[in-house]
Amino acid sequence: MGVQESILPGVSLKKGSNIMIYGPTFAGKAMFTRTMFKKFVKAGYCGIYVLTRESAEQFIDWFGEEYDSNTVKIIDCVTKSMTGDAKDTEAIKRETVMNLTGISAKINKFLEEFWRKGNRNIILVFDSLSTLLMYLNLQTVFRFLHILTGRVKMTGAIAFYIVEEGMHDEKTIVTLKQLFNGMIEFKEENGKKFVRFVSPFTKTDWLEIHVDEGGVIIT
Amino acid sequence: MKVVTGIPVLDDLIDEIPNGKTLTYWINPEVEGDVFAMQTIYTNVEEGLKCAYTTITISPESILAEFEEFGWNVKDFENFEIVDLYSEYVGYPSKYKYSANPLKIDEVCGLLKNVLEEFDVIYIPISSIIDVCGDESISCIESIFKLVKEKGKVLITSFVSWPYPEKIKKIVGDLSNAIVKIGGIHHRVILGYYYGLVKVDWKNVKSKSILFKLVRPGGVRAYIPKILVTGPYNAGKSTFVHAVSNVALSVDRLGTTVALDHGHLEYKGFSIDLFGTPGQERFDPILRMLGKDALGVILVVDSTKPETFPRAKQMLESVTHFGLPYVVAANKQDLSNALSPEEIRKKMYLPEDVPIIPISASKGEGIFKVIDALLDILVGSWKEGENEFEIST
Repeated sequence: MGVQESILPGVSLKKGSNIMIYGPTFAGKAMFTRTMFKKFVKAGYCGIYVLTRESAEQFIDWFGEEYDSNTVKIIDCVTKSMTGDAKDTEAIKRETVMNLTGISAKINKFLEEFWRKGNRNIILVFDSLSTLLMYLNLQTVFRFLHILTGRVKMTGAIAFYIVEEGMHDEKTIVTLKQLFNGMIEFKEENGKKFVRFVSPFTKTDWLEIHVDEGGVIIT
Repeated sequence: MKVVTGIPVLDDLIDEIPNGKTLTYWINPEVEGDVFAMQTIYTNVEEGLKCAYTTITISPESILAEFEEFGWNVKDFENFEIVDLYSEYVGYPSKYKYSANPLKIDEVCGLLKNVLEEFDVIYIPISSIIDVCGDESISCIESIFKLVKEKGKVLITSFVSWPYPEKIKKIVGDLSNAIVKIGGIHHRVILGYYYGLVKVDWKNVKSKSILFKLVRPGGVRAYIPKILVTGPYNAGKSTFVHAVSNVALSVDRLGTTVALDHGHLEYKGFSIDLFGTPGQERFDPILRMLGKDALGVILVVDSTKPETFPRAKQMLESVTHFGLPYVVAANKQDLSNALSPEEIRKKMYLPEDVPIIPISASKGEGIFKVIDALLDILVGSWKEGENEFEIST
């Protein structure tokens, strides 16, 4: 568990970390997270991406030619809600966003697959918890996350969970924060976007970022 | 009417679910357990019973597609109905005869009670109702359990054991006449799945747990787990496999295992297949092949020969590469020069949490403690009582 992975200049994460990605809409959270996910995968990590806002096919389009179904697995919580008969593949599993047991079981199937192949470097992204909270109450989502974050810790994976600022009350954010080891926080000021890392032990300065469809650059 | 579960082995144990009884599938949150209820409902639909399946977090269309994926075309049967608590929740009008808005718990409760009057067997996903309608909905669930008894119907429920308050778990546990626990065999990740009867109040049944796989089409299929018994040459692997098994066979040449040992063991409700691998390096490919779909490893070492420990470590590493949990059987403890388990731990640099069990395979001493230690890692805190296990999250 001593291995550290860098996510921002001067910020490394221990394996087994659960990190909240928090900020206002259009601040670059999703693109930042994807870019980081891609970087981890390029560095040899296996990845699981849980999508609640776009389909697996849209995600794969963005990922481009580097997408490898052996190392990147997707849980698509969009398509099944639209069409009941969407088919699963080895690398893409469909689930409805409200079926937390289904999502949890599918994450575990992928973890098992990676583990049995000897892959111990795993990144998980949950994009986003805000969608879950639109359908399910805080208590239910908290119970789900309690199990999931525990599993991430146990497997030594690194997980990121996107939460929209302004969509939830203070109590919700405080409750969720208890489950995480730290937070990558975003803000927008005078048309510029910034990011920083906050944990019980560190708080970095705000770093300016540039976001476009291809990814995120930290300046 | 005779209601059965349709689940392998389970029906042999309980024979049937009598009228007025509730059977709950108590599911680990990380395990795909919904299929158990689907299989039960489909089996009874096929037998001509009027069955209703309630869905709240998955669209009825997705549920029907899932039934179909398992080869169960429920929509072809007139005696099957969906109870749709999903559509109105997500803002669509329901096209099903039985539907309600789950945000109105009284409406849901009224609907489920009506359905109970009309059908022989009804399925309700209790935990999903609690998740959507809130913890207060437990009083509605309680009233339905009671009505089942009064009306002489059969209720099948599923309860996913998220970290709910103990009070909720107790109510569901107490009101269920039978509980089938569906869990995961875990070691950092979940490596396999099992189900077991943990409570039944209409028959005196001995506890049994069964490993399963999901087959599409087909549904729940019981299978026998594979445990690897490995270790250096002449450590006593074959002796161990033969001593612990009900039946065993070895492929030998001049008294040394050259292919593998195979033993079958029925123990504490588990059916276990033991595969002993040859100790010589030239057979290592067999070791790696067997390791791929095994559930756990027993490493047998000769406690009197520390010079073989590096080879034991090497063998262990090639199978634990697959993430398998393991225990060490410190064999030949009956000999005067045997090292103690703690001395072996130090010499092999084994972590503190790895069980090292002193045994004498030739005398049959300590051998079942090895199986116990491995089962304890694999299935966690199963506590065997008279006829039930403790239910834990």
